[in-house]
Amino acid sequence: MVTRRLIKRLLLYLAVLVFLFVCLFPFGWVLTGSFHSLAQIMEGQIHWIPKDPTLENYIPLFFSKMGIKNFPVYILNSLMIGCATAVLSSIIAALGGYGLSRYEFYGRDVLSRMMLFIYVFPVVLLALPINESMAKLRLVDSRLGIILIHTALAAPFCTWLLRSFFDSIPKAIEESAAVDGANKIQTLIWIVLPLAAPGVLTAAVYSLVSSWGEQMFASILISSDTMKTLPLGIAMYTSEQYIEWGQLLAGTVLTFVPLLLIFMPLSKHFLQGFMEGALK
Amino acid sequence: MNKKQATGLLYLAPVLILIIAFFLYPSISIIKTSFYQTRYGINFNFAGLKNYLVIFGDEVFHASLVNSLIWTVTGLILQLTIPLGTALLLNQRFGGNTFARATMLVPWITPSVIIAIMARWILEPELGMLNSILLRLGIVDDPINFLGSTTAALPTLIIAQTWQFIPFGTLLILAALQTIPRALYDAMKVDGAKPMQLFRYLIVPKISPMIGFMVFLAFVWNFNVFDKIWLTTQGGPVNATMTLPVLVYKRAFKTFRMGQSSAVGTITVVGLIILGIIYFKYLWKPIKQE
Repeated sequence: MVTRRLIKRLLLYLAVLVFLFVCLFPFGWVLTGSFHSLAQIMEGQIHWIPKDPTLENYIPLFFSKMGIKNFPVYILNSLMIGCATAVLSSIIAALGGYGLSRYEFYGRDVLSRMMLFIYVFPVVLLALPINESMAKLRLVDSRLGIILIHTALAAPFCTWLLRSFFDSIPKAIEESAAVDGANKIQTLIWIVLPLAAPGVLTAAVYSLVSSWGEQMFASILISSDTMKTLPLGIAMYTSEQYIEWGQLLAGTVLTFVPLLLIFMPLSKHFLQGFMEGALK
Repeated sequence: MNKKQATGLLYLAPVLILIIAFFLYPSISIIKTSFYQTRYGINFNFAGLKNYLVIFGDEVFHASLVNSLIWTVTGLILQLTIPLGTALLLNQRFGGNTFARATMLVPWITPSVIIAIMARWILEPELGMLNSILLRLGIVDDPINFLGSTTAALPTLIIAQTWQFIPFGTLLILAALQTIPRALYDAMKVDGAKPMQLFRYLIVPKISPMIGFMVFLAFVWNFNVFDKIWLTTQGGPVNATMTLPVLVYKRAFKTFRMGQSSAVGTITVVGLIILGIIYFKYLWKPIKQE
């Protein structure tokens, strides 16, 4: 009986490990590849643990005198656009989510559903007209233009997410704050928002993650090299004839690692936030 | 409308303005463009249904429609059944549970650009890991050009897409499974229920709202894929991976046929609206957590 349970236990762990391996091995393979020399890569001599690990793929990203010189600038651009998007979209979503949660008005449920429904449409359909509007507003090839688009892409989902967070905060808390003489905005900022902090954080992280990886609008709107974001930057190491594998892999690692560092500590909140949004 | 209602809408104003400017107005704009003949976005000439007639007679459009259907439906089936299996398997307490969950989210948050590069790196015919394993095991004699062959490219991308969804789908179903109290299982087992009966009468009713949500999520997520396809195959080889979103992009930004692109876009929007209305009217049931 005891051995049977032990075997069952071991099988479970084995299953978990296999599953996690399947989920993660491509990341590991890119990571280890980035520490191999170009010669080893081109001979297909990649090992899980590099025989003589090298930084030769990483150094040109930062100190190249020719070819692609602006990799650090791409990192900075992605960081600026991502953070601005995160701040802007969580503010907008907090207001919207609060409005949906606390006020009853005609069409509230329709609006609430719309926050999700709009994602039914492929964003690629929107690219052409948005490109034209941005040209009219002279926001082509600017960070502000990209920030606006990324905010528009993330904010409705975050609004939907935050509504459920606000719904789970009892109204009585606000009523007692009102009795103490706080006005609506004060109550929202000092009482409700701190209680919904995990939700707001989730919204901010979601916005940052989606902005960081967004490629299509960035590629349509940005033309000058110093405005490019990381997804556009690493794409420059590939062309139809030739792929600069060493630097491409190193660039991919540098694009993904910051995202993981920001996301992993918050992944629990993200999952919880998503579940609460989905389950309500 | 009283004052309180107006205040509620005021809170929603910023997000509504964004939706109008970046979703609603562009949607109307592409419908309009689809009836015009355009050159580089200017020189409008009313063209009536000409763009639509061209598109309906276009073999590439037919191929995209079929590919989109295959892409979405196969993806959906794989992405619902596999996570259901893994979730049932993993629905037990074990050490490192939190860590496992956090890691399972990683593929889901991975940007498409990175997925595309990973796929190209692993599937590369000459240098790739997968081909080297297949060759060494003697399963194939010549390397397979996974992304470069007309027969292999679409299934390969569907598998990559499914791989990305499985862990997240598993997490979603796990969350639904965990709302079932352990006592209910025990009670049914005491009454002599077999595993199949447990599945049919306890698990299925409890997780079906989550499955319904996942149908929506996975449908949208599959159908709308553009960048993963564009950055791996650009819809090729010979339109083997050309789906509707990829066609919309290619016609608009590579061959500059804005009118045709908009016509494909409009057909897509109308199709999706019909599907969306059916979904929200008949299938959408808000999930209640107990």
